[in-house]
Amino acid sequence: MLSWEFPPRTVGGISPHVYNLSSHLARMGVDTYVVTCDFPGAPEYEEVNGVHVIRVDSYKTPSPDFATWDYLMNVNMQKEAATIISNLNGKVDLIHAHDWLVANAAIGLKHIFRIPLLATIHSTEIGRRNGLHTNYERMIHETEAWLAHEAWKVVCCSQYMVSHTRWAFGLPEDKVVMIPNGVNADVFKQEFKKQEFRSKFAEPDEKIILFVGRLVNEKGVHVLINAMPKVLARVNAKLVIVGEGGMKDFLKVQVNNMRLAHKIFFTGFLDEQSVRFLYQCADVCVVPSLYEPFGIVALEAMAAKVPVVVSDTGGLAEIVEHDKTGVKVYPNNVESLAWGITRVLLDPSYAEWIRSNADRKVREMYNWSKIAEKVKALYQSICDEYQHGSWKPT
Amino acid sequence: MRVIIFTWEFPPRIVGQLSHYVNKLAIDLVKKSVDTYVVTYHDSWIGYHQGVDGVKVYRVSNPVKSQINILTWVLNLNQEVERVAADIFYLTKREVDLIDVCDWHFTPAAVSLKRGLGIPFVFSIDSLEDHRSHGSSAPLNLSIKGLELLGVDEAERVLVKSEWMKQEVRRIYKTPLEKIEVVSPHSPAWIDEILIAYRKALGISPNLAS
Repeated sequence: MLSWEFPPRTVGGISPHVYNLSSHLARMGVDTYVVTCDFPGAPEYEEVNGVHVIRVDSYKTPSPDFATWDYLMNVNMQKEAATIISNLNGKVDLIHAHDWLVANAAIGLKHIFRIPLLATIHSTEIGRRNGLHTNYERMIHETEAWLAHEAWKVVCCSQYMVSHTRWAFGLPEDKVVMIPNGVNADVFKQEFKKQEFRSKFAEPDEKIILFVGRLVNEKGVHVLINAMPKVLARVNAKLVIVGEGGMKDFLKVQVNNMRLAHKIFFTGFLDEQSVRFLYQCADVCVVPSLYEPFGIVALEAMAAKVPVVVSDTGGLAEIVEHDKTGVKVYPNNVESLAWGITRVLLDPSYAEWIRSNADRKVREMYNWSKIAEKVKALYQSICDEYQHGSWKPT
Repeated sequence: MRVIIFTWEFPPRIVGQLSHYVNKLAIDLVKKSVDTYVVTYHDSWIGYHQGVDGVKVYRVSNPVKSQINILTWVLNLNQEVERVAADIFYLTKREVDLIDVCDWHFTPAAVSLKRGLGIPFVFSIDSLEDHRSHGSSAPLNLSIKGLELLGVDEAERVLVKSEWMKQEVRRIYKTPLEKIEVVSPHSPAWIDEILIAYRKALGISPNLAS
């Protein structure tokens, strides 16, 4: 399995996805190797829950831009992965790539060893950027299209992403498989001093409105901030914003200009455990994304038994059923978002109703054991097709 | 002996003098009974072609058409080069003796093929980034130098065309002089000297009669 991020290196949702998927696959007897980028303090090789994790030199010489860095990193990744596969006498049944960030290494390995390639496409450039405007964006888009073309099958985590990738890359229906993302509800069971932890973020009489995510345009944090005056007019609350991103300075200026610095708290990057505790302290978790291929944050909040308010868009629209497992609001709409948040905060019995429904749904549909079973079955069907084909070297 | 040459220019695509050089190399290798393949780039004339001179040429295009610099263009092309080289490998029942990489462009492909399939390679240097960029340390030039260093480090032998270049490779990349072979294209016994260098890279007797 190739991924540009794996814990402790966590940039976005791919890192926890690959961590959980690989752990469960290993538990089911799939001999799993993860090749990923290095991280300060993390060993070059370690075994994590039975998974062999190999961290490669992520290319530290200055490079002109992110994409060029990534392609250079792929040179190192492919070199190391080729050595690993060769040391295993080529006895690797399948290569599983996550997003374009490892496309080059994965495609090269596929051809060198003639091993089938499976690609999970978590999100697309055309979706992240809401169109393709520059050669840089087109280049990434075409790299994604190349990966999808070279892959035996493409996995997407929601029905929305299935139709989106089919449209974006012109993929036939039978090439794309929907296997949802998962969440591990057990991580929210750890005991902690709730009042003491909560007091670091809000006053006792303030409700906590939680946002977790990268601070970029597509996540819609600015819409949430704009909705705050309407919320505060009816409820005493504190908005806690967890995460980093290019829009952070812009958002802080926005908050200051609105005279809301005392009601909106930017925590910056928080470690995994603190985020988990914070979920359990929150009164509502808001996912105001403008574009969201899946929406793992909503799922984590549901698993932590926090009521969710989400934009009715992309993968979020599939996870949440309005008035049953959460509240759906119009994307990029301040009025609608404020209405959704106050509805949950002002009606405890309604909040309890969606919270318990959501909890049940997460356990039934989004647990990693079930998801890993589906992935393992897909691996098996690809390997069976491969065995009967003529591409396999003799 | 079966050799695959990697080059980013080969007739009819002519960027500089490397194209003519590689053409002459391939033709002369065929005359010496070397089964010679060339893997190169062309945007429109793609696929397999065997000329009257007996050189087998595979041309690949770039799977990613939109590019932002020479480096991304090259790095997206490498996997196509690997694909074709691996195809040759499997079609010839895994009997490819050596890859000759001409300049830096396809050193990543050669390294992966060496690590993955055990095909050794020689790195033939026509020109160096340090000279082309006048010693620039801009990120783009540094990255290209990084790929040259990768080639120099991982190759069995480095082939250069002059004594001066041999010293330059040592100066810039700290390469041991024993690893560098000087083969002048103007030498009367040029192709024999190339073959001797290939044989040294393969660890077999440099005596061509054996």
